Amino acid sequence: MKKFLYFFLSVVIIVLISKVYQSSLPEYSPKRDYVDLENEILKAFILAEDNSTIELPEGHFLFSQSLSLDNKKRVIIKGKGMDKTVLSFKGQTQGAEGIKITNSQNIVLQDFSIEDAAGDNLKVSDTDTLTIKRIRTAWTGKVSTENGAYGIYPVLSSNILIEECEAIAASDAGIYVGQSKNVKIKNNKAYYNVAGIESENSTNVEIHNNEIFQNTSGLLIFDLPGLTVYGKNIKAFDNQIFDNNQINFGVPGSIVSSVPKGTGVIIMATKNVDFFNNNVSNHKTSNLAIVSYKVFAADKDLESGSQISKTASEGIRFIDSEFEKDKGYNPYPGRVYIHDNKFSNTYRFPTLSNDFGKLWYIKNNARIPDIVYDGILPEGIKLNSNEVRICVKNNDNDSFVYLDAENEFINFSNDLSLFNCELKL
Amino acid sequence: MIINNTVFKILFFILCIAFSRCDSNSRKRPLAKKVSLKPTMTLKNTNEKKKLSEYSFFKGKISDLVPNKNVFPYELNTPLFSNYAFKKRFIYLPDRTQIEYLKDEVFSFSNGSILIKNFFYPTDFRKEKGDKKIIETRLLIKENNNWKALNYIWDENQNDAYLNYIGTQTKVSWTDINGKNKSIIYNIPNNNQCKNCHLNGKMVTPIGITAFQLNKKYSSVAFKINQLKYFEEKNILVGLPDFDEIPKFPIWNQKNSASIEKRAKAYLDINCAHCHNPKGSAKNSGLDLSFNQRDLRKQGIFKPPVAAGKGSGNLKYSIVPGHPEESILIFRMKSQAPGVMMPEIGRSVVHKEGVSLISEYIENLKESSF
Repeated sequence: MKKFLYFFLSVVIIVLISKVYQSSLPEYSPKRDYVDLENEILKAFILAEDNSTIELPEGHFLFSQSLSLDNKKRVIIKGKGMDKTVLSFKGQTQGAEGIKITNSQNIVLQDFSIEDAAGDNLKVSDTDTLTIKRIRTAWTGKVSTENGAYGIYPVLSSNILIEECEAIAASDAGIYVGQSKNVKIKNNKAYYNVAGIESENSTNVEIHNNEIFQNTSGLLIFDLPGLTVYGKNIKAFDNQIFDNNQINFGVPGSIVSSVPKGTGVIIMATKNVDFFNNNVSNHKTSNLAIVSYKVFAADKDLESGSQISKTASEGIRFIDSEFEKDKGYNPYPGRVYIHDNKFSNTYRFPTLSNDFGKLWYIKNNARIPDIVYDGILPEGIKLNSNEVRICVKNNDNDSFVYLDAENEFINFSNDLSLFNCELKL
Repeated sequence: MIINNTVFKILFFILCIAFSRCDSNSRKRPLAKKVSLKPTMTLKNTNEKKKLSEYSFFKGKISDLVPNKNVFPYELNTPLFSNYAFKKRFIYLPDRTQIEYLKDEVFSFSNGSILIKNFFYPTDFRKEKGDKKIIETRLLIKENNNWKALNYIWDENQNDAYLNYIGTQTKVSWTDINGKNKSIIYNIPNNNQCKNCHLNGKMVTPIGITAFQLNKKYSSVAFKINQLKYFEEKNILVGLPDFDEIPKFPIWNQKNSASIEKRAKAYLDINCAHCHNPKGSAKNSGLDLSFNQRDLRKQGIFKPPVAAGKGSGNLKYSIVPGHPEESILIFRMKSQAPGVMMPEIGRSVVHKEGVSLISEYIENLKESSF
């Protein structure tokens, strides 16, 4: 009997410990009082005519299926404010998205919240001229791998403005612009996501005056292989990026599930990136990293996927190892200019949860660097040649690491003088 | 002992609390009170016919689905799976119009043509011709050189079907071929969901009306001749080439119709390729399940997922030759969770026979040959 009691007691203790561990994940639990106006709102979407406005009333509306607009011109979808009009897809039985807009032109969404879709809360594809204003997207309850992937997700679209929005608790990226052109992302807040804001394979993107905090990683500027288009020309300025140290709760297999926690900004394989006037602080791995697709692929965050299964951290290939076959893809960053930013850190010691953090203990006197550059170059190309040039200038506090990742860190260095240059972007 | 019991109870209580916190994040659908709005959001009425009977497609008792003049039945070699529903398909052609034969694409139709697809369940699947319940009739109407989709839902008494834009759910029951009682929740699609499958680029388009799908004999007693031949005899199809030049799809569930690989590809073509083709809505996935796709990677063989998220099921490739259990394709065909299941819409139960077919196909692929 006593043995059994001890056994039982230890089970209780283990459960409680794991609960405490889990409770380090944040929670977003607004008060909701759902009503069902599904048929009427659905009809308003489906029968929307060109040049019309869908006025969403005040209330917390629950839906069993996606709301969609297809092939429409000049339609405004307007709520009574992000706190007053809430569209919830909690427990939806049909469709993956909350709101899905396809093949349209001149679409405006403003002043409401979208919550708890099975997949993405708001997905817009193949659309030209899109404004998303004062929209809040969130997954409610404790942050979880079960949450949908993207909060605000325009893809294969052009002339996009995303402003004054809030993106909370996405298991991939809160605001994610993919394979798009001419994009402005400004004055938004992104928190509790795996990635706060992400620009992927997009061209002519301006990201400014956003507040990005308490995500696994704050801002990702990525170019990935195997897709229809590649990106360049990104400007990121006047952003506040801080405290992005959340445990990675991304779905194993997704690219963000391999993002090391505690990175403020990651610029990967993208060309012509102008990063200036930002305030980046309090990250346990590094405030900013400039990397090629190759080094990113090699790292694994030990904590990521731990809730799923062991095989996830070993067996899953989140990286397309055949990227070298993709002739249109260039896996190296180039013409990246980091200037006039403010970097700071209240954390003294690097995280032990990923290879970068551990490396700092061995190679960097157990200090967290502000800026990391992997230094991996295309064959036969020199560090200072124009197409791969990285310039770092005029920042407030910019402790620097040049990894020389290609050569097993032989030329690991903190010397910034090689990168003291200017770029016209 | 008494103390022990109390300790147990307390510990048990703590455990309960701990676990219930864990459950608070569940994805179960919460309760919502039905409300109405005054004034309503949409006042507009569309110009479409409100009842199916207004089209006069059928003579006699409408639910017998006996075609009128200008209405012609057709069948497909390998049809889309729709929750085990049976389908009766017809083409309505305005007077003096014809269908134009095209080799590798959907046939060409004149304005005013209508494709009619009735979804029904025989009460007993062992008696296909016996009592049945028609659920819905979907129309594709060619108007101003564009196709548009409309949907009509049948009433309980099977007296007529009524125009519907927003879809609904309905419970359907039948006795299956093994004599077992089956019952499912059937989702009648809303108008945008119709487009979801029928979009090709930006245009709504039919899917099944192709030479390789129509090249077959009628199975109904009355005809028993090749459909394309019948259309030609009725003078409603022009441009038909010699018969040996007409492509023909395998019949997915007839072993003697083609190899397992061909039958599997035909099944994937009709069930998946309307989105998973280079112009379809799933083009960003890079997966092309069209019957004629020759590139192994585009077919899914050792192809890693692009943006599948949870849909990847923690697996590495769409198809792992020899290993259906490691193939994302099978994982998603077996799922019923929104956001994971494939196809995304149009089914609420798993097509077991389809899963077996594709599993057998993957099982038979030799890993070494790729």
